[in-house]
Order: sequence, then structure tokens, then C-alpha cells
Amino acid sequence: MTSSVPPPGGPLLEIRNLTVRYGKATACDDVSFQVAPGSVYALLGRNGAGKSSLVRCALGEQKADSGSPQLFGEDVWKHRARLLSRVGVVPEEPDAPAAMTARHLEAFCRELYPRWDSVSFNQRLERFGVPQQTPFGRLSKGQKGQVLLALALAPSPDLLVLDDPTLGLDVVARRAFWEELMGELADRGTTVFLTTHDLAAIEGIATRVGILKEGRLVLDEEVETLKSRFRKIRYGNRITETRTEFGTELDAFESVRVKVRGWGIEAVVSNWDEGAFETFRRQDGVEGAESSAMSLEDIFFAVAGEPRGAEKNGGTATP
Amino acid sequence: MRALHLDFSSATPIWSQIEEGMRRLVASSALEPGRPVPSVRDLAKDLRINPATVAKAYQRLADAGVFTVKRGDGTYVADAPPVLARAERTKSLRQAALGYAAFASSIGAGHAEAADELAAAWRSFAARKEKP
Repeated sequence: MTSSVPPPGGPLLEIRNLTVRYGKATACDDVSFQVAPGSVYALLGRNGAGKSSLVRCALGEQKADSGSPQLFGEDVWKHRARLLSRVGVVPEEPDAPAAMTARHLEAFCRELYPRWDSVSFNQRLERFGVPQQTPFGRLSKGQKGQVLLALALAPSPDLLVLDDPTLGLDVVARRAFWEELMGELADRGTTVFLTTHDLAAIEGIATRVGILKEGRLVLDEEVETLKSRFRKIRYGNRITETRTEFGTELDAFESVRVKVRGWGIEAVVSNWDEGAFETFRRQDGVEGAESSAMSLEDIFFAVAGEPRGAEKNGGTATP
Repeated sequence: MRALHLDFSSATPIWSQIEEGMRRLVASSALEPGRPVPSVRDLAKDLRINPATVAKAYQRLADAGVFTVKRGDGTYVADAPPVLARAERTKSLRQAALGYAAFASSIGAGHAEAADELAAAWRSFAARKEKP
């Protein structure tokens, strides 16, 4: 059925030194990462960070200036049609001919894929409550997204690509979307590559995240290790008779963001260590130190929330 | 399964929170011996978390003898608490106790207060078990 078999355990999608330029502007700057089989990789970034360009290149819709993405171990730009038959895609803007109903769309798409599952397609639309005889153009935005998800999953894809799939959906439609995805992951263990701004929703879903900032991949890591090394630390900072150094107290934790507040210092650190914190809090001049774990959204904000160059002031804090 | 709460901003990994939550539900008899537990699929959809995360927690609970997996049927609460060798049980208890003691100490609780809380937690399990 499929004409090529990826090397076992090899990445389903590999982005290697990808660069995309529009005139003088660089949308993606030497970006490299891999989507491993069975993983759910979430690519995060603010608007204009380069996510859309990257997704278009990954799907062979756009040629990169350098570093062509590999799908299932093959160059996507050279073998687009064959490779894409194994990929389900939900695009950012739910787009399909306005006059076609879900039933028409299914009949059309079914012919293009070797492994089409009509039963699951119909069951999905029933679960979503999408009318199958209504033209696509007259469906709500949420329903359009649901039709496209059903179409993306019906060919039993090896890789599912979701480009900000819940953008503009209300909370009920968003929940239905993610629940349906969880069912698919449980049933088939499909590998997923997605972009989203819905960080709270993917907190328990993504296994790995990448953060794009102004075209550069500033973070690429398993969610579990990411959450174990980031912490927010708050403490009072006092001058004492024996204290000679100021502003170096956070060095061991590699602070990514330090704010001086009226009551003391608030820092986000990226190299948290329980033992080092015990030493830290007993330091001369450090008072009432406490730490708190961070959500994915907090971490994203700390890493990507400010323009490049402004996010770090070297961990120093003047008294 | 409303009693299973996840805290995404906690430093404890989600699979570990599920494992601990399930142990708690079994200890308090909210999940009774021999009864089925929600499928990985249902729990993942319910909590909107990756099924692989649920599967990891279930696997650990099965390995520990808290759950029993019946092939092609589903996952059940084990009929009886797992029988651990005495030495192994002591080791597991000691490890968990160290964690609790360290936590209590880090928030400034004394030995007596921590011991009282442990006794109260134990009583709450027993009380729920006796309810008809």
C-alpha cells in the first residue's frame, strides 16, 4: 500500500536547518527538529514567529530557501503527492468548496487515499452533530473544523498535522475537538505535529514542544523535562554587612527573566534544582524565598513573551 | 471518576498524579476491589490528556499489583491489595515516608503535626470504607 517504509524508529517529520526568507525578512532561521513516531509535537510561537511558513514547507506547499523537510525519511518537496497520502492535515483556515456537503467531500476524498475508513468518518460527524447534507459554506466555523478533522483522520494517516485547529472556535467546539483527538490517539496512537495558541488545552496532550521566536527555534524539549527545570522563584533581597556580591545569587539556576518588584525579586529560572534552592534560600541577604511550578503557558510567556534581547538582564538585580 | 484531579501547573508529572490519585481512590474504596476502572481511552478523553500518559500510569499500577489487566477485556482493581515481600514493603513505605517528612519539614510542620495528619488521612480511608 505504501511505497516506502520509514526506517523503524526514525522521525516521521524531520526539519533540518530550514531557512525561509521573504525578501530581506527571515521567517524561519536555521530551524531543526524532529517529530518522533508516537509523539505529539506542539510548535508554539507568537503570531508572525514563522509557524505558518514552517508548516507550509513541512507539507511541501512551499519551497524552503534551504533545508528541505523530510517526511517519512524522504524529501517532501520532491515526492509531495506520494508522501502526503500518508498525512492528515487540518489547515489553519477551514477551507473547502462552499457548495459541497460533508457527504460530497467524503466521496471526493475517498478516491484519493488507499486506506479510507468511511465508518469512522460517519461516526465522527455523528458524534460532532454535523449535518451531512448542509453545504460546507453554510456550516459554522466549528463544524467546518470538525468536517476537516474527520476528513484528515479517515485515511488512517501515519502523521496528523494540525495548524492551529481550534483558532476561533468557542469553548464547546474546542473541547469536542481535543476529545476527538484523544480518542484517535488512544485508538491508533497517531503521531501528531501541531501548532496552537491554546496552550492550556495541549498541556496534557503534547509530549514535546518547540518554541519559535522571530524565526528561530529557541526551545525544543520533552514537556516533562521542560516542566521539571522551569520554576518561578520569589525572594526578598537585602544588603547585609557581610554580603559582597549582589545579583549573582541566581546564577546556579540560569534565570531567563528577572523582575525587580517592590517587595523583592521575581525570577523565572530554567535550571531548577531542589538542593541548590535549599542553599540559595539560606544565603546571606536572601529572605523568604519560595518557588512555584509553572504551567506551559507561564513557561511560554517567559521564553517567548518579549522581543529578542529584552528578555534577560543577566540575572542581575540592583538593590 | 470525579475524584481524580489533575494539576497541570504542578511539578509532579501527570502520569504520577494519575498513579497517586488512583492509589488514593483504591485506598478509600471509591474504586472497589474487582471492579473495572475506566478505560485508558475514556479517561484520556475525560481529562483531555494524552492516552499514553494514562497508559503509563495504568502500567505502573498493574506492575505494582494495584490493578489487574485482563487481556481483551479491560483493567480492574485487583481483588486484594498486592502482597509484597516484607522487605519490599518496608522499602516502599520508607521511601514514601521520606518524601512526606521532607515536605512537612519544608513547610515548617513539626513531627507531631505531621504524624497527626497522617493518622487523620488513615482514618478518612477507613471511614469511607465502612460506609454502606
